Amino acid sequence: MTGRRPLRKTWWKTALGVFFTALMLFPAYWMANVSLTRTSDLRADPPHWFPWNPTLEGYAAVLEQQLPSLGTSLLVGLGCVALTIVVAAPAGYALALLNLRGGRALNFVLLVAQMIPAVVMAMGFYAIYVRLGLLNTVGGLIVADSTIAVPFGVLLYTAFMSGIPRELLQAARIDGAGAWRTFRSIVLPVSRNSTLTVALFAFLWAWSDFIFASTLNRNGDLIPITLGIYKYIGNNTTQWNSIMATAVVASVPAAILLVVAQRYVAAGVTAGAVKD
Amino acid sequence: MHDYTIRAFVQGNAEFVGFDKYAEVFGSTTFPTALLNTAVFTLVSILFQYAAGLALAVFFRSGFRLSGVLRAMFLVPWLLPLIVSASTWAWMLSSENGIVNSVLGAFGVPQINWLTSPDTALLSVIVANIWLGIPFNLVILYSGLQNIPGELAEAASLDGAGAWKQFWSITFPLLRPVSAITLLLGLIYTLKVVDVIWVMTTGGPGNSTTTLAIWSYREAFGTGQPDFSPAAAVGNVLILIALVFGFLHLQLQHRQEGS
Amino acid sequence: MQHTRRGPAALATTVALATATAGLLGACSAAAPDEASEGSSDTYTWWDPYPQHDESSDWAARVQQCGTDAGVTIERTAYDTTALTNQALLSAQEGTSPDVILIDNPAVSTLADTGMLSTVDELGLDTSAIDENLLAAGVAGGDAYGVPIGANTLAIYYNKEVLDAAGVDPAAVTDWASLTAALEKVTAAGSKGITFAGIGTEEGSFQFLPWFWGAGADLRELDSPEAVAAVELWKGWLDAGYAPNTVITNSQNTTWEEFLTGEYAFVENGTWQVNSAAEAGFETGIIQIPARDGGGAPAPTGGEFIVAPVQEDAERYEVTRQIVECMTTPEGFVETATTFAYYIPPTAEGQAALLEQNPELEPWVSAVQDAKGRTSDDLGTDYPIISEQLWTAVQNALSGAGSPEEALKAAQTEAETATS
Repeated sequence: MTGRRPLRKTWWKTALGVFFTALMLFPAYWMANVSLTRTSDLRADPPHWFPWNPTLEGYAAVLEQQLPSLGTSLLVGLGCVALTIVVAAPAGYALALLNLRGGRALNFVLLVAQMIPAVVMAMGFYAIYVRLGLLNTVGGLIVADSTIAVPFGVLLYTAFMSGIPRELLQAARIDGAGAWRTFRSIVLPVSRNSTLTVALFAFLWAWSDFIFASTLNRNGDLIPITLGIYKYIGNNTTQWNSIMATAVVASVPAAILLVVAQRYVAAGVTAGAVKD
Repeated sequence: MHDYTIRAFVQGNAEFVGFDKYAEVFGSTTFPTALLNTAVFTLVSILFQYAAGLALAVFFRSGFRLSGVLRAMFLVPWLLPLIVSASTWAWMLSSENGIVNSVLGAFGVPQINWLTSPDTALLSVIVANIWLGIPFNLVILYSGLQNIPGELAEAASLDGAGAWKQFWSITFPLLRPVSAITLLLGLIYTLKVVDVIWVMTTGGPGNSTTTLAIWSYREAFGTGQPDFSPAAAVGNVLILIALVFGFLHLQLQHRQEGS
Repeated sequence: MQHTRRGPAALATTVALATATAGLLGACSAAAPDEASEGSSDTYTWWDPYPQHDESSDWAARVQQCGTDAGVTIERTAYDTTALTNQALLSAQEGTSPDVILIDNPAVSTLADTGMLSTVDELGLDTSAIDENLLAAGVAGGDAYGVPIGANTLAIYYNKEVLDAAGVDPAAVTDWASLTAALEKVTAAGSKGITFAGIGTEEGSFQFLPWFWGAGADLRELDSPEAVAAVELWKGWLDAGYAPNTVITNSQNTTWEEFLTGEYAFVENGTWQVNSAAEAGFETGIIQIPARDGGGAPAPTGGEFIVAPVQEDAERYEVTRQIVECMTTPEGFVETATTFAYYIPPTAEGQAALLEQNPELEPWVSAVQDAKGRTSDDLGTDYPIISEQLWTAVQNALSGAGSPEEALKAAQTEAETATS
């Protein structure tokens, strides 16, 4: 499991990796294929492997109508990441390392929180937001979406932070660092991987959320892409190529963001922030 | 539990019926089918999701050219709105014009009615659900692997342990807490799955892909006559199941910490 | 427009789900955020299920115009069909009902049953011009709770090229036997036969009803020999390869997409595909769905009703009535008809005006005149329960989980228990 092996020895792994990825992404390819297919060819038998007779109608509609939604989704996703980490990291730290009373009970509550159907949460938020006037605001949606990721984030941080060697913390305490400084200068940098994971989850959940968006943000000017798609599902017709085109257009920037973010963080890790 | 017909809902005068609704739910002919389907759907899904996620995490952890990019690509299924991915799966598995049957047909396999035969419908929605769940498992398990110090593995390989043995005797045990939480969360999320099954089969044909969650959804929204009482009763049964496993998890965790 | 669709219905968890939540939290409270929308005296709220028509659309402009004519501003909100019903129930519970709702016709009796709708008499609407069979879907316990803004129904579209190639004359398809014979000829000539939607939702029942009623069966008796004959007809087509296996999960959209490939001779579909059929890459035509022994089978009606929820302030009804009347003039009906490709006006006058503009819609007008509301026959709120059993039975029979007799017998038992 170390680097610096001659590349010749790992090329087959790359090949295998590409193969797995291709297999995994086949449905995504199929979606892209449909996005270019004319309605009359949608259900052709046998199906067309490749859109020989493509139409760009779907993309034209999407680029014209859906770009603001895409921006909203990105904004909500990133906002949710920030909020989740700001809340979950200190909470996980407190639970894992500060020996709080009732930590176990709290842990259980967090687990139970995952079991509550999202609709129940959405209903609660609706009632509160009506009074606070937060309906149809991006901020409100970010707060709501982060309730999916925060309990999970706390659980994950707790699980990982309890694995941090106590000696590290004791050393810091001997240096006179308080709980907060220990957290900032030792625990947080060491938990970089966990932060990445939590951030990833927060982003993906916020990105794919439908229930909160449709409950809390339905009539806003800024609707996320998961709602934007419903524009193409009319009462009696379904514009498949527009739907699929929306999904393609929406997943490309998000995928790029994921790749770039991972590279960036991975670079930070190897630059020596953490010593294994 | 009140008798929540929609009239009562609007007028706010639901009649208290105690546990009658539960008795109705448990006595229904749908209940055993739904319970069995839920068990099969959930267990098979999380088992395969976990196994695939773990294998892939180990694979990507070994580091090779493009591993980072490919790993990120694995998250793409998650970025797709559920209605899109579920429809795409339904499309690919369609009996007459699906790509899967078209490929199998090229090898001489006769048409398989993936979604429309009671024998294969459950299998089909499970496959789609596994596909959806792999990214989640991969992400958590990969970050779990990252937290296992490299020296341990190196020490083991100096002792001459093969990769296989090294994995089972060192990596896997160290990964146990992360595995436990992954499986538990997987269980909780899978119990709640509605969208995928609903879009692909609406719980059919007949009741062959009806899980408890689907049943609850159907009672509440799937007919023109919303009926929330049985929906809520079934929903509560689901939460109860999740709670039992939650307790079990804590119990195990407790025992582990004790030892 | 027919009742539910698959994709959206699936995910139209939406605000709607909020309703369920209230159900789940159930027992305890009926608390309402009461200061929400009280509705000022010159703003009237309007809900409809047409999110595809946004604020800049002709439809929205027409709604606004009717408000302006009545001297008020209309605040329009569009939900998708499933969400709309649930949203309506939720608002009624909170006491914040809108002034006007356009709602799918089978939902009218559901809403009326909760006591949240005012009757047309209370509103002061004159419904005498409206076709009896269409108005019936909005009648519960002898009172009418709304007026249809238009109606659509099902018929069989055919692909003329495929029929010509197989030497089938569509005019000769007059009963089940001749239809099956035509299917046999078409498949023998190498094309595909017929496709329809047997999905496990209301859409499945919607598509099955013309055959069910056409056999002479009654929704109160799902296991009658007539009902069995109708299921056996579908099952027979599947077994013989005249219909594709996909029909078991097909939504009406999917069947239409299959038909557009040009491979199929027939498809069962609705008025709303008229425009799409005209643009298809082949010549199409329609025939009425035949009854078992000849003649046209009654097909179920689709389409929205305008209803007016009960308001605390009864003064509002006067303006509401003006708005409704404005939307239901003969010219209004024709405009609605073309906006939604195509709604057949529910009045003789409206139908005449429509035919003047679009004479080719004649067969649809007669199909609508023969059609029957799903909640008619005094089924009312029992209909959704029976319908669920019906589509389940059809699914079980088609997928081979049980014989038609067994499936229908089980359905009848369940339906009887649930409605008693």
